[in-house]
Amino acid sequence: MASNGGGSSNEAWGSRIGLILAMAGNAVGLGNFLRFPRQAAANGGGSFMITYFIALLLLGIPLMWIEWGIGRHGGQYRKGHIPGMFAAIWKHPAAKYVGAVGLVVPLVVMIYYTYIESWTAAFAWFSLTKDYWGHTTQEGMIAYLQSFQSIPAEGAPVYHHEYTPYAFFIGTLFINIFVLSKGISGGIEKLAKIGMPILFVFAIILAGVVLFLPAQPGIGATPWQGLEFIYKPDYSRLGEPGVWLASAGQIFFTLSVGMCTLTAYASYLSKKDDITLNGIATAATNETAEVVLGGTIAIPAAVTFFGVTGAMAIAQSGSFNLGFATMPVVFQQLPFGNLLGVAWFGLLFFAGITSSVAMLTPITAFFREEFGFKRESVAWSLGALCLVFGLMHVHWLQHGVLDEWDYWAGTFGLVVVAVLEVIIFMWIFTPAKAWESMHQGADIRIPQIFKFIMTYVTPIYLLFILGWWGWVDALPILLNEKTAGGGPVNPADTPYITLARAIIVLFAIVAVVLIKMAWVRNKYDDRKGFALADHTGEAA
Amino acid sequence: MSTSAIVFMAGSWTFVLGLMFWSFSKLLKDQKHFDPDGLGPAVPPEPAETERGAKRS
Repeated sequence: MASNGGGSSNEAWGSRIGLILAMAGNAVGLGNFLRFPRQAAANGGGSFMITYFIALLLLGIPLMWIEWGIGRHGGQYRKGHIPGMFAAIWKHPAAKYVGAVGLVVPLVVMIYYTYIESWTAAFAWFSLTKDYWGHTTQEGMIAYLQSFQSIPAEGAPVYHHEYTPYAFFIGTLFINIFVLSKGISGGIEKLAKIGMPILFVFAIILAGVVLFLPAQPGIGATPWQGLEFIYKPDYSRLGEPGVWLASAGQIFFTLSVGMCTLTAYASYLSKKDDITLNGIATAATNETAEVVLGGTIAIPAAVTFFGVTGAMAIAQSGSFNLGFATMPVVFQQLPFGNLLGVAWFGLLFFAGITSSVAMLTPITAFFREEFGFKRESVAWSLGALCLVFGLMHVHWLQHGVLDEWDYWAGTFGLVVVAVLEVIIFMWIFTPAKAWESMHQGADIRIPQIFKFIMTYVTPIYLLFILGWWGWVDALPILLNEKTAGGGPVNPADTPYITLARAIIVLFAIVAVVLIKMAWVRNKYDDRKGFALADHTGEAA
Repeated sequence: MSTSAIVFMAGSWTFVLGLMFWSFSKLLKDQKHFDPDGLGPAVPPEPAETERGAKRS
């Protein structure tokens, strides 16, 4: 157990490799294998990759270091949650309330993300048992997917019992909460040490199989044409703001910045522990999973079996159709296809669960540190909360409640959190102190240019994204001029969408009240800060 | 595949794989700054690269 002055809630990482695997597991998610290839293909291929790497250097990696820095700094005062971390840096009464967003965003994302994760568990089972065998067309598999989701089109056949999605959701949530209840080294680190190697093995096997797929009769395309589809540069797209925003968005989502999970994990480190090399190792692991493996599986397979035109249509129809309809069609035409299906959905499951277990870590830390509750009690209570609101998504998927939460928490909310983090750490804490804090115990020195980037370029880049998305997407969605999923608004869905928004607002109000209660209970003085966790008696 | 696509793919893969192998080789070689149990490493920790730099200056 940590007794070295760092770490929140008296917990700690057991090994450095465990820490990095857990951090990378948190970052590597469904987006690496489903969202990235689709975004690359739809936004100019090689041109997207240019803007993608620029965003990685100006936005992704700087934010990774900032989040590791905020987290470890907060951990020195035994704060594993954003309200406490912000208050430790910015000694102002407003800091803790601004941090409420850091409790709400990961909780909301975890609830619907676990539901999507349960689809991968279900389809791994359906692959093993060959349950979808015989649905050999894209349309047939989409009908099968919609039947599983209990949203079959009118007159379409139903292949599943109504309780099937509920059962898989409850099972997946149970595994998540069980891992969380076992703590940092006993649960999350063990899961990462098992899940991440399996994920990489499955991904390497699938990438190998896909790259050597023969051209199909009547189609004539090869997997290499799929890679060409992703990487062929369309320089005319470099002038489009949409391409730059798409790549910045992808970098944002893939590294899990703004989710408050990196900060929570880093709070279990002491100031003697390196964060600069750990941070870059985590980012590099995630990028390898995304660029090398994520780009080599779904789109090249789709191009081989559906041709370039067909694959483009599939990619434009959405990531879920690509993952849950196209890939099963492909597997049915390959030897040992059901085992490859298990590998594909197993890969997605491990990518998902190593991310979702992280999402409840900040709020668990809040209840443990501020109210003294036991980890198991907090974990299972949060599990009950996630179950209640998760069932809402299972039951009302067709009404757009999941899309609504995904937009406000999983898209817009992440950028809001990141803007707050960079302003508080780099501007209020001051660049000099932030730089010094990041370099305590550092095994590598961050190139000096990044001090300038983190202080000026990253915040401006983020504010531009926030402003653009606010104007182009958030406002029309808020005014019900379009849905969060991008389509026209169905008046019948409006009450459900309003309810989904109201629940997020309710969560935010409850978070603010709980923060107020915690500060009163523990008699914190906003202007003096917190006592150091190593009992030196120093104030922050 | 066209030459330009090969160039972009090779460049992208080289960058991310190079970054990963560099960071992990450095990380596995230098187990200096990870002390979660608070008991300290088996041998006294070396000064961090940044601290060494500070002393030199």
